[in-house]
Amino acid sequence: MAIERTDLQQLLNRRYSAGFVTDIETDTLPPGLNEDVIHALSARKREPEWMTQWRLEAYRHWLTMTPPAWAKLNIAPIDFQAISYYAAPKQAPKSLAEVDPKLLETYDKLGVPLHERARLAGVAVDAVFDSVSVGTTFRKELAEAGVIFCSMSEAIREHPEIVRQYLGSVVPQRDNFFAALNSAVFSDGSFVFIPKGVRCPMELSTYFRINAGHTGQFERTLIVAEEGASVSYLEGCTAPMRDENQLHAAVVELVALERANIKYSTVQNWYPGDEQGRGGIYNFVTKRGDCRGDDSRISWTQVETGSAITWKYPSCILRGDRSVGEFNSVALTHHRQQADTGTKMIHIGRDTRSKIVSKGISAGRGQNTYRGLVKIEKSAANARNHTQCDSLLIGKKCGAHTFPYMEVKNPSAIVEHEATTSKISDEQLFYCRSRGLDEENAVSMIVDGFCKQVFRELPMEFAVEAKKLLEVSLEGAIG
Amino acid sequence: MLKIDNLHVRVAGREILKGLSLQVNAGEVHAIMGPNGAGKSTLGNVLAGRGGYEVTQGSVAYGGRDLLQLEPEARAAAGVFLAFQYPVEIPGVNNTYFLRAALNAQRKARGEAELDSREFLQLVREKLKGMQLPPELMNRAVNEGFSGGEKKRNEIFQMAVLEPKLAILDETDSGLDIDALKQVAEGVNALRDPKRAFILITHYQRLLDYIVPDFVHVLADGRVVESGGAHLAQELEAHGYAWVRERKPAEAAA
Amino acid sequence: MSASAAPFVESMRAAALPASGIGWLDAARHEAMQAFLSAGLPDTRNELWKYTALRALEQRGYSARDESASTRMIDEGTFALPDIEGTRLVFVNGVFRADLSRLDDLPQGLSVQPLSRALVENPEPLRFLLSRHATEPRDSFASLNAALASDGVLVRVAPAAQIEAPLRIVHLGAQAEAAIACHARNFVELGEGACLRLIEHYAALGEHAHFTNIACEYVLQKSARIDLLALQDSAVGAALFRRSDFHLHEDAQLELHALELGGALARHELRIALDGDRSRAQTRGAFALRGRQHVDTELLIEHHGRDTASDSLWRGVADGRARGVFHGAITVHPGADGADAQLSNKNLLLSEGAEIDTRPALEIHADEVKAAHGATIGQLDEHALFYLRSRGLPAETARILLVRAFCAVALSGVEPQALREHCDALLLAHLPRENAQ
Repeated sequence: MAIERTDLQQLLNRRYSAGFVTDIETDTLPPGLNEDVIHALSARKREPEWMTQWRLEAYRHWLTMTPPAWAKLNIAPIDFQAISYYAAPKQAPKSLAEVDPKLLETYDKLGVPLHERARLAGVAVDAVFDSVSVGTTFRKELAEAGVIFCSMSEAIREHPEIVRQYLGSVVPQRDNFFAALNSAVFSDGSFVFIPKGVRCPMELSTYFRINAGHTGQFERTLIVAEEGASVSYLEGCTAPMRDENQLHAAVVELVALERANIKYSTVQNWYPGDEQGRGGIYNFVTKRGDCRGDDSRISWTQVETGSAITWKYPSCILRGDRSVGEFNSVALTHHRQQADTGTKMIHIGRDTRSKIVSKGISAGRGQNTYRGLVKIEKSAANARNHTQCDSLLIGKKCGAHTFPYMEVKNPSAIVEHEATTSKISDEQLFYCRSRGLDEENAVSMIVDGFCKQVFRELPMEFAVEAKKLLEVSLEGAIG
Repeated sequence: MLKIDNLHVRVAGREILKGLSLQVNAGEVHAIMGPNGAGKSTLGNVLAGRGGYEVTQGSVAYGGRDLLQLEPEARAAAGVFLAFQYPVEIPGVNNTYFLRAALNAQRKARGEAELDSREFLQLVREKLKGMQLPPELMNRAVNEGFSGGEKKRNEIFQMAVLEPKLAILDETDSGLDIDALKQVAEGVNALRDPKRAFILITHYQRLLDYIVPDFVHVLADGRVVESGGAHLAQELEAHGYAWVRERKPAEAAA
Repeated sequence: MSASAAPFVESMRAAALPASGIGWLDAARHEAMQAFLSAGLPDTRNELWKYTALRALEQRGYSARDESASTRMIDEGTFALPDIEGTRLVFVNGVFRADLSRLDDLPQGLSVQPLSRALVENPEPLRFLLSRHATEPRDSFASLNAALASDGVLVRVAPAAQIEAPLRIVHLGAQAEAAIACHARNFVELGEGACLRLIEHYAALGEHAHFTNIACEYVLQKSARIDLLALQDSAVGAALFRRSDFHLHEDAQLELHALELGGALARHELRIALDGDRSRAQTRGAFALRGRQHVDTELLIEHHGRDTASDSLWRGVADGRARGVFHGAITVHPGADGADAQLSNKNLLLSEGAEIDTRPALEIHADEVKAAHGATIGQLDEHALFYLRSRGLPAETARILLVRAFCAVALSGVEPQALREHCDALLLAHLPRENAQ
């Protein structure tokens, strides 16, 4: 008797649980982008003049650029004039105590309670709702340790000298089309500064929520770890279910000075669109870390289950001698999701090391691409890289693609790349089922095993969350 | 407990089992012997519900139910256990975690309470006693990087934890050295119980030196050509499979 | 585009062939030339040319042809291969040389003809073959080839014919009065169940500069099998562009060995289409570079049929200021269920000035697929080196031994043994003698 592919079609319609809309009064700029919009946005955020000018420079350059076409993505052209570049809840809170209860309720529903009694233990959260931060928890505790953790808008006002020194120093305004757009119109995001020698006493996390319709979210995050400092940061993202495609174009810059250690984890669960490919977030993100000092370390971990389109390559510039870069990724595409994601490891310093682990899972009509560059410059004596890319196919109509680029200019470097593509074997499924597990459980167990290496890199609570997310995202994949 | 009646099975268009009948009662140990290609492993796989095996005729009743109608996991929950000839590796899936998930899925299907991790670990510790399975194997991925002997012992260990009613051991002795063979046999003997039945599928008699069966059946060309007591295995060992064919030419050709 | 003014493009325009008297051919050549002129040379924004910049080539003009190609004195020893006798076609600077070739006594079922002769004797059957390029979207060099190739080889193997003795096609670059350009177009077709051994040999007399552009097309009908050795040992000054297109029908088999040794700028684009069910390709290759050589191998394998298989094993060694480029792209198209695709590319970087860029790629659109690739860039294993030295081998000998062994996997399967040994010796001659490391 053949293993029957149990009918899981009903599960296909399982809802995206973060797909609700919060009914709240919003202050939204009308759609469209020009210099007036940038002035208006900058004014709303009470920014200093240098910031406004910085935005305008980026905008003027952006006008000369065209969207990148090299990714293996099928995207309808985006009308940048149809997007609203600013949306914020009308009542701007002064502190968490003043935050609109509806917003608090929103974050409760998303499993990120902000209020005092239910906060996640040991995790400070900055909650960004559409274009603005609505509050940051554990500020006092962090301040005592000397850590600055606040919204980007606040940092521009309160810590201009640090922001000016580092903003755009890793991802310049002109870096690429989406980074230039972000530099012109970025709304909010998180700012983290860990001073010399400080180990951040708790996990820091930002929760990004797109709520308003017809808006884009352009967050900008900057994390600076001074000499010997260390921090672990996590971001989570969700959005309501809508038929339209919404744009999310973020820039994240990490700077690690001598012996500093930054661990950046992402659990991305933007609305992926429905089975027909209607709606969903277009996620175009530029994330880059600069290991500026000797013996510094930056590690990216990402679990990407959401978004209709994902275009992101969290990268490391290994400038300092003996600096270390890591990229651990799980990307899942189901239904008609498309992901083109990977990393760049640019080895410049001596004895630099990088490690890449990428796990792609394609189901339904999902298209999943790993694209990565490992570049060993002439100066990077004894550089080492190891890359492992595995793809898992579930179903006949999906695609899994691997495009690694390796460029080596130093004869003492060793660069290794391995990739495999396979489907879940009937053998494994049968083994699990003959021990009593139903097919769905068996698949999720095998997929979880496939991703184990990456989940291990996530902070405990988020590893559990990521695993659940993967299970939900895969529902209905077999059938 | 198990009644196989005139079972015909095709694999990839070729008929492998050609009218096999067998009755197994609770508490009995049956050995199925036979030359390569006789259909021994096919029998085990059909009973466990592996895909690609087409039953064209006959029936398999298990505890009064039509076994062939059940999904593999439902068979497991009903107490059928197949110790695989070649246990598959499942990278990244922790052995202990897997076993607990399997046990709880079975218990749930039977309407029994699931074990929490403390209870389960206690059970594992208890069952591991005398199993001579390196404890660190429990923390590795399912079968990944296990030696041949470790894989086989892991199957017996799973059997001890899952406590099936009908255990089918598919050439569990193959590829084992004499010490490993003894350990596997001890594991099986410890599980012999008036409520539990075993089907031992084997090519060689040597396993039967350590697990003494109640019945021995000789499978040739897709059906049982001779049945007898434990002594039959010794005669086979002495005379070879050709001896059966010579003795029963009329039946074998029928 | 500035390309229109570039000396290279200008020299190609000036080389346009005189009217042949065959209307369709002249039209096709004209169209191909127009396609080339409007496209110009590819630049590095083109993914297939990412690591091979043609700026230097673009600044150089080449003479249209070598007027003395048919009369130059050639020593046959320059292209001799051990234990390889029999049928051969020899081209000197792109021109067929009957005096150096051996076309008498062809085995039964094998038909071989220089393109130039076929065009004179009976051009009509070539119409489809030679005129479709103008309309198919092709790269610049293919257009150039279609516009300017006036010679080449037509090989046909009759159904079921088993051609045991290897057929040899030799392209010799000989010193001419100026840097010349030559273009050749080869077409090889194997009928159902046919079998052919083929050696393509690119050799040189002297160290002069020249430009060679060769397009080969291989069609393997059902159950046909080709065993191809491509031995490239061009002149130090050569710019060599080759494109080989393989079409495999049901159950057809390709076994390829490629050795890239010579040339200042050498590029080989191999496009293998596994169209028929159960067709399979095994490719083996190696490059050994030094000086300022730039060698680029593009291996593009397309799985279309069901249960197709490809297995590729490539090695690269770069010394001096050389740059080696490898791109191994495997595409499994929708419906190509049961495909099994494996690719391994390993490289040794031996000096400070050298560079290796490798790009294995997998594009999978089918489900029942086994696909894997691996690539490494590194150095010799220090442990192995030490082991050999501790057994008494001098460091340099040990190093060369290891590099040879590293490349040898790409040669295993080359028959006869004497030929394999010859390839190994050629490789050895290209390996660094003394290494500062």
